[in-house]
Amino acid sequence: MISGGIVWVLAVNLVIWTGLFLYLLRLESQVRQLENES
Amino acid sequence: MRHFWHWLLWLWIALAIAGAFLYAPLAKDFIGQSSRILFFHVPMAWGSFVAFMTAGVWSLLYLGKRQLDHDRAAQAAVEVGLLFCVLATVTGAMWARVMWGAWWNWDPRQTSIAFVLVFYAAYLVLRGAIEDPDLRARLAAAYAVFGLVVAPFLFFVLPRMATFTLHPDAVVNTRGKVDVDARMLQVLLVSALGFNVFFFWLHRLRWRLLRLEARRAAEGLTMMTEAQP
Amino acid sequence: MSAPGSLPLPAPRAAAMAGGEVGTPVRRWLGEATAVFVKDWRTELRTRHALHTLLLFAVTTLITVSMALGPLGVSSGERLAVLPALLWIILLFAAAAGLPRGFVQEEETHTATALRLAATPSALFCGKTLYSASLLLALEALLVPLYVAVMQLPVVSLGLLFAALAAGGLGLAIGSTLLAAIVAQAQGRGALFPILAFPVLLPLLLLAVELTRGAVAGSVGEGVLANLLLYDGALAVSGLMLFPIVWNP
Repeated sequence: MISGGIVWVLAVNLVIWTGLFLYLLRLESQVRQLENES
Repeated sequence: MRHFWHWLLWLWIALAIAGAFLYAPLAKDFIGQSSRILFFHVPMAWGSFVAFMTAGVWSLLYLGKRQLDHDRAAQAAVEVGLLFCVLATVTGAMWARVMWGAWWNWDPRQTSIAFVLVFYAAYLVLRGAIEDPDLRARLAAAYAVFGLVVAPFLFFVLPRMATFTLHPDAVVNTRGKVDVDARMLQVLLVSALGFNVFFFWLHRLRWRLLRLEARRAAEGLTMMTEAQP
Repeated sequence: MSAPGSLPLPAPRAAAMAGGEVGTPVRRWLGEATAVFVKDWRTELRTRHALHTLLLFAVTTLITVSMALGPLGVSSGERLAVLPALLWIILLFAAAAGLPRGFVQEEETHTATALRLAATPSALFCGKTLYSASLLLALEALLVPLYVAVMQLPVVSLGLLFAALAAGGLGLAIGSTLLAAIVAQAQGRGALFPILAFPVLLPLLLLAVELTRGAVAGSVGEGVLANLLLYDGALAVSGLMLFPIVWNP
């Protein structure tokens, strides 16, 4: 599965950046929600 | 536009990704395309180091001024730093699988990053074990300041001390020279800047969230005490 | 407790304190540190709780390890790799079982408040560290000969072994004193100590194991002892600086 090819590097990148992006969105929405409440 | 710099950062990151796959040459002596992971692995390791140093500095500031907000900044920095550190460890292990044939083999670099991970995970466990906010902040800050001594030792001294390592020379190696292909170095620096700005973005958000949560908890408390006859 | 009058003052320090009351603050500080050290040993000798815990823990672990390896033990080719590592794991766990008590007890019996009033934090830290270090060295003096005999550890260089035990034990004592002071004020003390202390103590352990391997092989890589002492020093300096923060509300 993991070898000298480029596929896994691309896949790992995709996972990392989507993950980080989703984490960012979640933080943003939580902050917004709490700010609206108070 | 309010979020101008957000778009700039995404553009910058896209540039780093494109550079890593299209512009940078492959490193010598690396199996196949595996050297391309380094443009993400190395900046994440640097980013986690910057994060832990940030936590240390905020903790020092807390110890000087005793503002709980500074303590929350330190906590946020450790949390995001741990995230980066885990990602650096995992990408490192994958790369090790390609190059060395095993996910984990206690290479000095892997040893020290494992120590760093448990050290800062312990920081969060310590926070969880103390209820009084001021005591929690003081002890956690002391531990994070301790990290200002331990983390540089683990990041820089321990890996270079080992007589035998399979890990490629760090970009600034023991001989104190930058020894990398110019185009690779450009992409690496672009990516590192991207990751670091991204870290501070996440840090600010997490910090704000912690502040809001603390405020809400305090409000809940006053409401409860006011409701008492 | 007052300082024993016969404490010798190091010459350079005495010279540095030139003028009026020669060396009084230093003398008081040394007196406090000694008083803490003496007090801890005196309470310890009354019950011998920590000493028994450490020793019994170490011996039980040694028995466990030796038994698990079976009647033949480790084959001679693998002794160099395996035995020093096992020795330090035993010492680390014994330290984790016995050393945090020093501060936990002060908090539990509410003597911590009195200590806060009576002693300068840095003097207290030094006294407690010295006590822990002497406790660990006593443990090593009892355990290591037993370990060498039971596990057939072929020591070539006694000097290197002593250096490893002394520098490693000192580092374990310094690190665990600071972390025990943190842990004693938190909930879930017993479980928390290894979590907080091991990441700090593991680099130390790595170096001590390397040095002990040197004692078996007859020579050691350049700079291992120096780095071990450097780490001890870094722990000591940061301990002295952070302990007052941890200790004083």
